[in-house]
Amino acid sequence: MSNPPETPDDAASAVATDGALSYRQIRLLKRAGLGLAIALVLAVVLFPILWMFHTSLRPQSQIFIESVPLVPEVISLVHYRTLLFETEFPQFYANSIVVSLGVVSLTVVLSTLGGYGLARLDFRFKRKFARLVLFGYMFPAILLSIPMFIIWTEINLTNNLFGLVLAETALSLPFSLWLMWQFFQTVPRSLEESARTAGATRFQAFKDVAIPLAKPGMIAVALFSYAVSWNEYTIPKVLMSDRSKWPLTVGLFTLSEGQRVFWGQIMAASIMIVLPAFVFVIVLRKYLLEGFRTGL
Amino acid sequence: MATDTQTEDQSLRERRLRYRNSLYEFLSRRRVMAAFTILPALLLFVFITLGPIVWAVAAGFYEIPVFVPTWEFVWFDNYVELLTEETFWMTVWRSVVFAGGSTAFQLVVGTGIALLVNRQFRFSNVVQAVVILPYMIPTAVLGFMALWIGNAQWGVLNGVLIELGLLDNPFSWFGNHSTAMLSVILTSSWKFTIFVTIMVLARLQSIPQDHYEAARVAGASSYQVFRDITLPNLKNVIFIVILLRGVWMFNKFDIVYVLTGGGPGDATRTAPIYAYELGFGLTRLGKAAAMSTLLFVFLVAVALVYFRVLEPAEGVRTE
Repeated sequence: MSNPPETPDDAASAVATDGALSYRQIRLLKRAGLGLAIALVLAVVLFPILWMFHTSLRPQSQIFIESVPLVPEVISLVHYRTLLFETEFPQFYANSIVVSLGVVSLTVVLSTLGGYGLARLDFRFKRKFARLVLFGYMFPAILLSIPMFIIWTEINLTNNLFGLVLAETALSLPFSLWLMWQFFQTVPRSLEESARTAGATRFQAFKDVAIPLAKPGMIAVALFSYAVSWNEYTIPKVLMSDRSKWPLTVGLFTLSEGQRVFWGQIMAASIMIVLPAFVFVIVLRKYLLEGFRTGL
Repeated sequence: MATDTQTEDQSLRERRLRYRNSLYEFLSRRRVMAAFTILPALLLFVFITLGPIVWAVAAGFYEIPVFVPTWEFVWFDNYVELLTEETFWMTVWRSVVFAGGSTAFQLVVGTGIALLVNRQFRFSNVVQAVVILPYMIPTAVLGFMALWIGNAQWGVLNGVLIELGLLDNPFSWFGNHSTAMLSVILTSSWKFTIFVTIMVLARLQSIPQDHYEAARVAGASSYQVFRDITLPNLKNVIFIVILLRGVWMFNKFDIVYVLTGGGPGDATRTAPIYAYELGFGLTRLGKAAAMSTLLFVFLVAVALVYFRVLEPAEGVRTE
């Protein structure tokens, strides 16, 4: 504490260590290294996405050519137009929206209620229940989808969007429940208690105090369950044989028939599939990280 | 007349208020509250998660014809058939290779990226947001994207490699027996590395800043700061990530199926691919259920380690 090793920047840059690099040069080198590393990461992350976009803008005549210019010479929206007006794509989009809305609402409502109950009410087997929930989080889709197919066939829920919503909720509910449970424990009990001394009933304290405070957690859960349901491929692939009920992820495969693969349209479709997710992540990144922080 | 309706209005309003209050009283009872908060989630959980698991275990003992409603009880036949055939063990081994390789890769690169983008620099917020994007890409899209970029004839990857002189002729990365597994591992890692990044980043951002300041004041070097503050804080999350990613990659179906369908030959035919083939290609649903049960045993084993070692607290640490 007596002698903090602090050297003013200007002084440091003036000192040249004998023969070696000066502090200023070392600092510049470090910064260049950091910049380079970040540029590399960004390139690996962004290039495939940009190339997808690039392909989607090329007209059919420009798709299969020997050397593709990095900046497209001809920009065309023909693939987007074909997708929207000549394929079943709008139907797939609508199915995906319905399923996601279903999964998100079901997950947010049930995990908020359940999380509150678990955090505020004491009952037996709570510890066991906690483990069961976390165990559910580890469950991969393929292990659930095979027995689900057998059960869903028995009770006529295959080829049914509601059946699909239920099935996909199995993937988002455990972690969301766990997350809200943890989240409500970070909300001080005393806030609800003071509402109750002011004359509110227990339910009112829950409704008017706890729920509004839980909003960030609910946003994190909504984002998580949206990502799960919008991106899920295995469960709809197994449960939905009826083409008109397919979500986007399964419907995408209608654009490649045997040897004919409509790359331009596939890339255009892909861009349209990922766009909403990108917007949500960029706007709500804070909640996403917050959610994972509270959750595990 | 006017006063009449007014008093009527008022009494109506009072009655409504009384109703509402008694409803709130009712909802506030402990049992009622438990019923409407915990019960719905619990019931659904039982129906859509525990139900299928129990069903899978049970169905493994039957021969299930697809279009006939009668199941035939065959004792352990499905299990014996699986455990004595080479195909089963080969697919499990490929799953181990796939899970081991991709988990190791994702852990190292994902943690590295998290440490990198967690630093303060200009536009660090933007960079953090961009880096998360791959995790939001659906597997089906990722599959087509990789197949297009790695396409033997028209793929930009081959184009660049030939341009750089690293490759003489276009190469079919996913269509070649020797490179298919590696290509699938790298492709899936493009997306799932980001899961590690998100988890580690979330943890990093919750380390109190004054710990770092205290270490600096005490004269610690950057390496010492990393070793004594960052690493101990990350230990738990790294362990969780290894377990979760290990389980998930071992049971990963979609990306492998989309990229290669298990091929070429059986180069990438992992255990979940085999389970799917059994159920929906060969319509041996009973055997597929038995296969799911066996994969499920692996999950249970990992989960037990998770609970034994980590003892995830249901009480949250408010630090």
